[in-house]
Parts: sequence; structure tokens; C-alpha cells
Amino acid sequence: MIEFKNVNKWFGKLHVLKDINLEIPKGEVLVICGPSGSGKSTLIRCINRLEPIQDGQIIVNKVPVHDKATNLTKLRADIGFVFQQFHLYPHMTVLENVMLAPVNVKKIAKSKAEKIAMEKLEQVGLTEKSGAHPAQLSGGQQQRVAIARGLAMSPEIMLFDEPTSALDPEMIGEVLDVMVNLVSEGMTMCVVTHEMGFAKKVANRVLFMDEGAIVETGTPNEFFDNPKTDRAANFISMILTH
Amino acid sequence: MMAFYFAQLVEIFPFFLKGLWMTSKIAFISLVSCTLIGLVLGIFRSSNSIILRYLVGVYVAFVRGTPFVVQIFIIFFIFPEWGIQLEAFPAALLAMAIMGSAFICEIVAGGIAAIPKGQWEAAASSGLTNLQQLRLVVIPQAMKIILPPLVGQYVLLIKDTSVVSVIGVMDLTRVGWVTVVRIPEGLMVFTLVGALYFMISYPLILLSNYLEQRMAI
Repeated sequence: MIEFKNVNKWFGKLHVLKDINLEIPKGEVLVICGPSGSGKSTLIRCINRLEPIQDGQIIVNKVPVHDKATNLTKLRADIGFVFQQFHLYPHMTVLENVMLAPVNVKKIAKSKAEKIAMEKLEQVGLTEKSGAHPAQLSGGQQQRVAIARGLAMSPEIMLFDEPTSALDPEMIGEVLDVMVNLVSEGMTMCVVTHEMGFAKKVANRVLFMDEGAIVETGTPNEFFDNPKTDRAANFISMILTH
Repeated sequence: MMAFYFAQLVEIFPFFLKGLWMTSKIAFISLVSCTLIGLVLGIFRSSNSIILRYLVGVYVAFVRGTPFVVQIFIIFFIFPEWGIQLEAFPAALLAMAIMGSAFICEIVAGGIAAIPKGQWEAAASSGLTNLQQLRLVVIPQAMKIILPPLVGQYVLLIKDTSVVSVIGVMDLTRVGWVTVVRIPEGLMVFTLVGALYFMISYPLILLSNYLEQRMAI
């Protein structure tokens, strides 16, 4: 479903993605972890072309993402993206936030889009906040709305860029719960996160990145209990000492 | 002595009102044209295309770096040599449109630039086109930032209309110059001129202050 073939990316002279080769089959839940600056956020941002690449190919559902001829709108309609900083639209209500894309991209009628939006808000447990503005919500609630917004387009793939890193600890759980439920529905998910409990619970595979390269992959149990590389072992010991 | 001139001023007051009307017409039309053109230019100024940004940047730099009086001279006196012959009133409107839109362009571009990149990215990620991102997400948020300095710019533009007097448009300023020839009480005449300008500017100054207060919340 998602393929990286010899992908390389530079920010100026900095080589931020080094020869990435990766295949993410349909329905897989992939967790990407690694130290700061390892390129993990950059990697998933390349999947929906928020970032360009200079070398190699990324193919999503047989469509080459970085091809000039590719219909970006169509591609992105099929990929939901959840940001670390939520990025809800502050001038719209929660319901309008979730409805915006279905109405304007898929051209769904407002009444039908409202129904879809309320369904997604129910899925994340926030129907009672549909008339509120983002500023009136807690961080955890905002992120759940952001997930509902991503789901509103009924994408096949959901990408999460450190979805809980900007949250107070007591709100992390409510967001992870929503994400765990998504997994049980068969969604293809790519999650950049430090939440190892989440990874152990639902991830099919864990990818460890360091300095722009994929250093190690494995199932969560393999990775956390028996890391093959020293760098991975080092990283795991550092995050588990909290 | 003053009383004599005062009586004459009262007699000639309708002439001032005509000048005020001309100034108001030019101001209103210019505010509308400058805003529309400035909005479009401001969007181009914020474009991803380096060429577009550069071209608008050159235009804005030229307009901001030269005196308005020189610009209006060029349009009224020099353009005819290139085949563009304009009467005073249209020339005044054209000059105001060119000058005002450059300043409003910068205000609009500043407002757009203040919107966090994440807003663009979130909108783009759901599949919205560049134009939709601008129209539905960015501009509505930018308007709050643009409105106070925009209204402030309107006050400046109203005062700038006084420059059109140099190409013979019978605006409020020119009425003052013509009157002072016949009624040599400069202070009285131009105090009246100033008061009338103030009358149409002050409501906007109040509005601008109000908007800035609201923005600070």
C-alpha cells in the first residue's frame, strides 16, 4: 500500500532521509520511533507530499506521490494526517472543522457532511462539543477532534506525527484509546510516537530510525525485548528510564 | 476685520461643501479600488511563485519609494507623451489606486504571513487546493490581523487625496487654495479645510482604535 523505494531527501546540505526502502502493507499498524532529528516526522510527511523528496519514489496505492502529474487532491483525500500541534481551524466550530474537507473536497452536501462529521465525532467521543470552538477544548479533546477531522474523508491510511507529544500526561490516554479503536477497524496506520505502551499493544511492526536511516525493524516484542543493534538498545533504555 | 471675512466664508461655504463632496468621492472610490487590488496583490505577494512575489515586490518598492505627488504628475503630465491622455479626475483615481494598493498589499501580505504554517498544512493534508486553503482557512484568520492596520491606512489615504489638487481636481484642498486668493485669511480658510477633512477621517480613526482594542483581546 505504501512503498518507499530508495528515497533520499536533503534539507539544503543536510541529508535527512538516507536511502529509505520500506513497504507498508494494507492494514498494517507501523510505529516509527527514534531520537530527535532522526527523520521520522520527515518520513511520514513525505507520504502525503507535505515534504518533497529529491531522489527515489514513494508509491501509495499504486500512485507515485511525488510525480508532477499526480492529482494531489485525490491522493490526500485518501490519507488522513494528525499533527503534533493539532492545527484545528480556530475560526470554525468543531463540527465545521470536521466537515470542511468532505464539503469542499468531496463536494458532499452540507446536511450529509454534517451527519458524517457527527459520526466521526461520536467515534472519538466528542459529539457534545460539536458547537464549541477549538480554543474552548482541552489539548486531548482538540487532538481527538483532529483525528475525527482526519477520519471524515474516510481515508484508507491515517498518518500520526507524534500525536500525544504536545499533551499533558493525563490526556494522552484518551487519545491513545481512540487510536487503538481505529486499529481494531483495520485502518492502515503509520504512527510516529514515543508511546511504547501503545506500540506494544497494537503495532504490527516497529521501525527505529536514527540520523535519517532505518536502523532496525521488528515486531514490538522483538524490538523492545531483544533489540538487534546497539543504537536501538541505547534508545530503548533511555526512554524506558522515565 | 475677521467678522467681515467670516461673513464671506459663510457665503462661500457651499463651495467648500462641493470640494468636500469631490474629496469624498475620490476617497470612497479609491478605498474600494485600493482594497480590491491590494487584496489580490497581497495574495500574490504571499505566493509560492518566486517570480510573482518578486514582481509585486518591485511594484510595491517603487510606489512606496517615490512621492505620491511625483506619481500623479507622471500619470497626468507624462503619460500623454506615451499616448495615454487622461482627464484630471480619472488620472487622480488611477494614481490613488496604484499608490494605495501597494500599501494595502503589504498589510495583506503581513496578515497572511502571520498565519502559522500548520494551518496551511492541515488544510492541504485534507485535500484542499491552494486556493481553498487560502479562501477557507487562511484569509478568514488573516482578516483579524489585517483589519486594524487596514482601517488606519484608510485614514492616511483620505488625507493623501489632497495631493490630487496639484493636477487641478477641485477637491477640498484646492477649494482652500482658490478661496484664500479671494479671502486672504489663510488661517481661517485652512482651519475650515482641516476641520472638514477631520470630519470624514475621525470616524475611521475611532473605528481603527476600536478594532485594535478588540484584536488585543
